Amino acid sequence: MKRRSFLSTLGLAASVAMFGAPAVQAADLETVSLRLKWLPQAQFVGFYMAKAKGYYEEEGLDLTINPGGPNLLTENLVATNADTFGLSGGTDSVFAAIEKGLPITCIGIAHQETPFVFVSKADGPVQEIGDFQDASITTWFTGANYVLFGMLAANGLDRSTMNIQPQQVSVTPFVDGQVDVVTATRYNEFYTLMQRVGEDNLKRFVPEDYGVSFPRDTLIVGNDFAAAHPDLVQGFVRASVKGWLDAFADKEAAIDLILKEAPTLERPHQEFMLDEIEKIMLAGAAGEEGLFTIDMDAVSSAHQILVDYEVLGGPIDLDSAFDSQFVDAIPSAERLPE
Amino acid sequence: MTVQANMAGASPVARRFGAVLPLLKGVAALAAVLLAVELIVILFGIRPYVLPRPSAVIEAILRTPAAYRDAIIRTGLETLMGFGAGALFGIWIGIAFSRLRFLRETVFPIFIVSQTIPVIAFGALVVMWFGNTILAKAVIVFYLTFFPVTVNALLGMRAVDEKQVQLLRSFGASEREIMRKLRFPTALPHIFVALRIASALGLAGAVVGEWFGDTTGLGVLLLQGMYAENMVAIWASILCSAVLGVAFFSAIGLAEKRIVFWGGEST
Amino acid sequence: MSDDPMAPSQQALARGIFGGLALFAIWELVARLFELPSYILPAVSEILARLWTARVALGEAAAYTLGESVAGYLLGGAVGIGLALAITLVPPLRKIIVPAATAVNSVPVVAFSPLILLWFGMGVSSKIVMVAVAVSFTMFVSALAGFDRVDERSVNLMRSFGASRAAILWKLRLPTALPLILSGMRLSTVRSLIVAIVTEMLGAYGGLGWVIYQAVIVIDFVQVWAAIFVASIASLGFFGIVALLERKLVFWR
Repeated sequence: MKRRSFLSTLGLAASVAMFGAPAVQAADLETVSLRLKWLPQAQFVGFYMAKAKGYYEEEGLDLTINPGGPNLLTENLVATNADTFGLSGGTDSVFAAIEKGLPITCIGIAHQETPFVFVSKADGPVQEIGDFQDASITTWFTGANYVLFGMLAANGLDRSTMNIQPQQVSVTPFVDGQVDVVTATRYNEFYTLMQRVGEDNLKRFVPEDYGVSFPRDTLIVGNDFAAAHPDLVQGFVRASVKGWLDAFADKEAAIDLILKEAPTLERPHQEFMLDEIEKIMLAGAAGEEGLFTIDMDAVSSAHQILVDYEVLGGPIDLDSAFDSQFVDAIPSAERLPE
Repeated sequence: MTVQANMAGASPVARRFGAVLPLLKGVAALAAVLLAVELIVILFGIRPYVLPRPSAVIEAILRTPAAYRDAIIRTGLETLMGFGAGALFGIWIGIAFSRLRFLRETVFPIFIVSQTIPVIAFGALVVMWFGNTILAKAVIVFYLTFFPVTVNALLGMRAVDEKQVQLLRSFGASEREIMRKLRFPTALPHIFVALRIASALGLAGAVVGEWFGDTTGLGVLLLQGMYAENMVAIWASILCSAVLGVAFFSAIGLAEKRIVFWGGEST
Repeated sequence: MSDDPMAPSQQALARGIFGGLALFAIWELVARLFELPSYILPAVSEILARLWTARVALGEAAAYTLGESVAGYLLGGAVGIGLALAITLVPPLRKIIVPAATAVNSVPVVAFSPLILLWFGMGVSSKIVMVAVAVSFTMFVSALAGFDRVDERSVNLMRSFGASRAAILWKLRLPTALPLILSGMRLSTVRSLIVAIVTEMLGAYGGLGWVIYQAVIVIDFVQVWAAIFVASIASLGFFGIVALLERKLVFWR
């Protein structure tokens, strides 16, 4: 038995059965799944919205949303056909997957700019990027560290002489003053920091201000599936865009929906998260071209950082790793809020 | 085994009461502990993100009771499925090992090695092989529970007095009868010790299993609390885990009292 | 203890090795026959090759994790055996300690991991505490069962000869309890390593769990498996040493 057939017997059998069938008949829905990068929260609410409103069904898809978890790599699950689509870590994880030969393609980018920032205390010793030199800094050594390295290098700082440590799940060391600079996603840790320290007492260092950008939350699909069902991939992207626009248009309903999925989440936090996610998803090129735009300039600059730091063995073929045909097929007007 | 002797002599009513009494005591003890912690937190002014007040934790559970109830049911079901399969398989393979030396000496070391592998490293493999179903979690629970049961079933089988076996055989008892009347009852106390250990391991397995992309369960709530740094939510999940764990533990204890007592009588 | 399935004879050892080799052979065959990519199942040969090429990094990680495990193991052992001892010396404590320990133990250890990481940070101390929590109950139960095994008539006899509590403990209780204490210690070895690794995967500065976490992020599954192999070898080594110690100490019985 050949590898492909061993791996995707089920998927291929279903594909053959479906090939060329009209996609709108309710009875003939293609069973597919979307693997998220994390557990249900406002960060993903657009997909839940699209599902709740039946947008996927209209495109011939019977879609299940599978949450992610620690140590669960979305690229891996999509590459093995365990899931059809994925909202994966970001451009960094797509690069790594392509380099390792995983048969996946990125078909859209959700977060147009770096979703995390570096934070210091407004009355603390770190007031500008130059102060990072003598500060104690913590960051996630899962991609965020390279953004930091890039920022430091772009500003002529030598990180080899600096005190940069891996960051734990908690921001408490920063709150307690043991750490001067902490890394925070704009929608999660920063909210916790605001609650604990107060927004006025915090100073944000935004990577984009220092010449570094790292688009994240990438939409991916398995290559086999995309080749066999371009129409379904197109339908998935279209439905997802509609779901996200609906979520932005009616945030109240969107938060209700996410709290139905995960009732123990805190509403104010989720509201804050959705506001931030909206900004991040409509930043940069997406502000003009619409949601899920693949901004190849931003992708290349992120790619360059990882090549420079030898995280990647060498440059990868970006044009085949990022395929914007599905996003581009939807007019910008339909990808932007009214 | 004085407890068993007491149980054997007790009337049915007293026996039933004997089962309820520890439960009541447990509830009372838990309430006392929670109250004590509440007072300590207030008196010493402990910050909520170091240790939240138990009342805040209980309030959080009562705010979304359905979420916690569903989580307990889901995690409990996963544990029960995997634990049941693990216990049956463990007993069966333990007996097989006691009979078939070659099988034991070839396979048992692999079993031992298998227990040195942290399942959490293979989240993706579990999803690939078993999907996102409750089955995947049950498989992990199974993986963690079958081993202690196997070991103790084997040890229990070997604890049988061979002289008794020969005696029974001389009375014309078949192997099957010897197993049912002598070997298995002798092994049962050992097996129950393993079941107690396995129930806690199994619950841990279910919680970790839910970290591989799931929508409900105590593991999910725990993760969500952890990454939102919501200490109240973390403690609420721990409290629910404790309830579930104690329930499993007591259920096994109860089963042990009844079954081992019954088994002891039949020899 | 010669009946113990975990203390194999020469022949059993040979068969065990045979079983392991057979498993490896099937694994290699499956991986090669189906041309499985490494993100599904890498071939054993590939993993072994990686074990060699990454031996320094993996060795350092293993030492880091073993250090945490052994420290937590000793701490947990001291707590568990200490509590059992306390109950033996002061019987009224039993009614408080046993239910409390049972309740704490019924919560899966992983459930404590967020708290312990928040309280003790990402360094080695959080791992040591987690391991200690995980193993102390097993040690406690085994030690208590051991101390309980002591024949009260012997205790009374010694007492009637005017032996002190300490003397009874040292000359009678401890020797009687030793086999069970040691078997509890042996059972706890493997668990201590797993708990250390799992905790490392949630946040650490080093160790096998950290290697696994990093490897998953860069999609290097051969490295994940190599680290798992090392973890297994380390566990078995730890187990073996304690088992050896057990046989030496219990031998005189």
